[in-house]
Amino acid sequence: MSNYFYVSPEQLTKDRAEFAQKGIARGRSIVGAIYDKGVVLVAENPSASLNKISEVYDRIAFAGVGKYNEFDRLREAGIRWADGTGYTYSRDDVDARALANYYAQYLGDMFTEGQKPLEVEILIAQLGGKLRPTKLYRIAYEGTISDEPHFVVLGGDAETIKERFAASAPELESLAATLRHAVAALAGPERTIPVSELEVGVLEDRGMRRTFRRLHDDEVTGLLE
Amino acid sequence: MGLPLFRAHDDPGPSFVAFAERQGLVRTSEVADVDVHATTVVALRYASGVVMVGDRQATGNYIASRDVRKIEAADRFTGLAISGSAARGIELLRLTQLSFEHYEKMTDSSLSLEGKANYLSPIIQRNNLSTPLPVLPLLAGWDRNTEQGRVFEYDGAGGCYERSDFATIGSGSPFAEGTLRLGYRADLDVEDALALGALALYEAGDNDPATGGADFVRRIFPMMVVIDAGGFRELSTDEVERRFQTIAERRAESRGVAGGSLR
Repeated sequence: MSNYFYVSPEQLTKDRAEFAQKGIARGRSIVGAIYDKGVVLVAENPSASLNKISEVYDRIAFAGVGKYNEFDRLREAGIRWADGTGYTYSRDDVDARALANYYAQYLGDMFTEGQKPLEVEILIAQLGGKLRPTKLYRIAYEGTISDEPHFVVLGGDAETIKERFAASAPELESLAATLRHAVAALAGPERTIPVSELEVGVLEDRGMRRTFRRLHDDEVTGLLE
Repeated sequence: MGLPLFRAHDDPGPSFVAFAERQGLVRTSEVADVDVHATTVVALRYASGVVMVGDRQATGNYIASRDVRKIEAADRFTGLAISGSAARGIELLRLTQLSFEHYEKMTDSSLSLEGKANYLSPIIQRNNLSTPLPVLPLLAGWDRNTEQGRVFEYDGAGGCYERSDFATIGSGSPFAEGTLRLGYRADLDVEDALALGALALYEAGDNDPATGGADFVRRIFPMMVVIDAGGFRELSTDEVERRFQTIAERRAESRGVAGGSLR
């Protein structure tokens, strides 16, 4: 006789969601925002080598919060998917929406069927061009995918940071202004984040195929002044 | 293609080829293709970088194409040239470019130049031992660790050999090599290296029917590339034309005789 206890689907989902949210809330947040010429991703990250932001493809970037090993595995899968798709078809056929959908399906599967849900939240940013628009896709731990028009906040304190950022940057601005507002929103009124603990990446056209670029500390300092 | 997730114990790591083989994106075929090949590409080191010069002609039984690009930037600091089967060579170029970029994105760091050179060995080996369409590349680049230009050549089985002076590939290489042997000095500057590389290619085009020379009628000229601390730079058509024009004029003066003070 096996000792199975009945757990209602509602209870199960609630427990799993709570578990994932707790895990995500432990990490620091990320702001992804569209500015007048591109997309900027700003993470509070005390580590200079364990990145939360990464290049995926010519016009696509990735950002993840939560458990590092879990989102880094998703990041690698995304790069493989993009490079594999571009190699099979053409570089023009690599679409962030398709990738975001795959992530959503995988996270959804893990949430309902996995041993435990993944404690991550990810952002896929696409810089627009002739073929596609500029987009920010946020994918939550349970596979909910949302397409945000202006900015996205990932992580535990997302709601507060979101309000702060929305109040300070109601419309598209320059990179410097967007970055300033994003950092201020991440820090809140009582705190300043040292530049060495910021990880910043941008997608911007510079006449080259690859549009992703990490901003060095001095560049960030310059932009924040 | 679904989302390619792997368990830690069988993860293909940052190697694109390892991943692509797993997915079946890369396969070697038994079907024989028309073997379009024959080429001359030279790479030579100079004091602060490397110069690469390559012809543009693809040859089957006839001239198949006059404007093939046989030298490409594998990444910002690396040039890769191909000889042998055009089909396999172009595939090798694509795969190599993608592999270096893939590694960079996966690990957030670039491969060393030696790492890039070694990476090609098993790819060449697998291709040449499993198909009747051999391909032989030539890799040259700026080594950011040792701050110098370096040249690597390969044998048919994938063996990778670094050359301290210059390397040549393709059917025209005996003629190019002869010219380089006579003209090469370790302290060449970039202008001398370009002039010598162009002359080596002129000789190969002059003697080897499967190497294209300067085509003044169509204004199609060999590709000339400089790779130094600033990265990969391809010379413009005008810059290349000027150099080949100089050689042609000198050669006309001597009525086609190449001897004397290395014309």
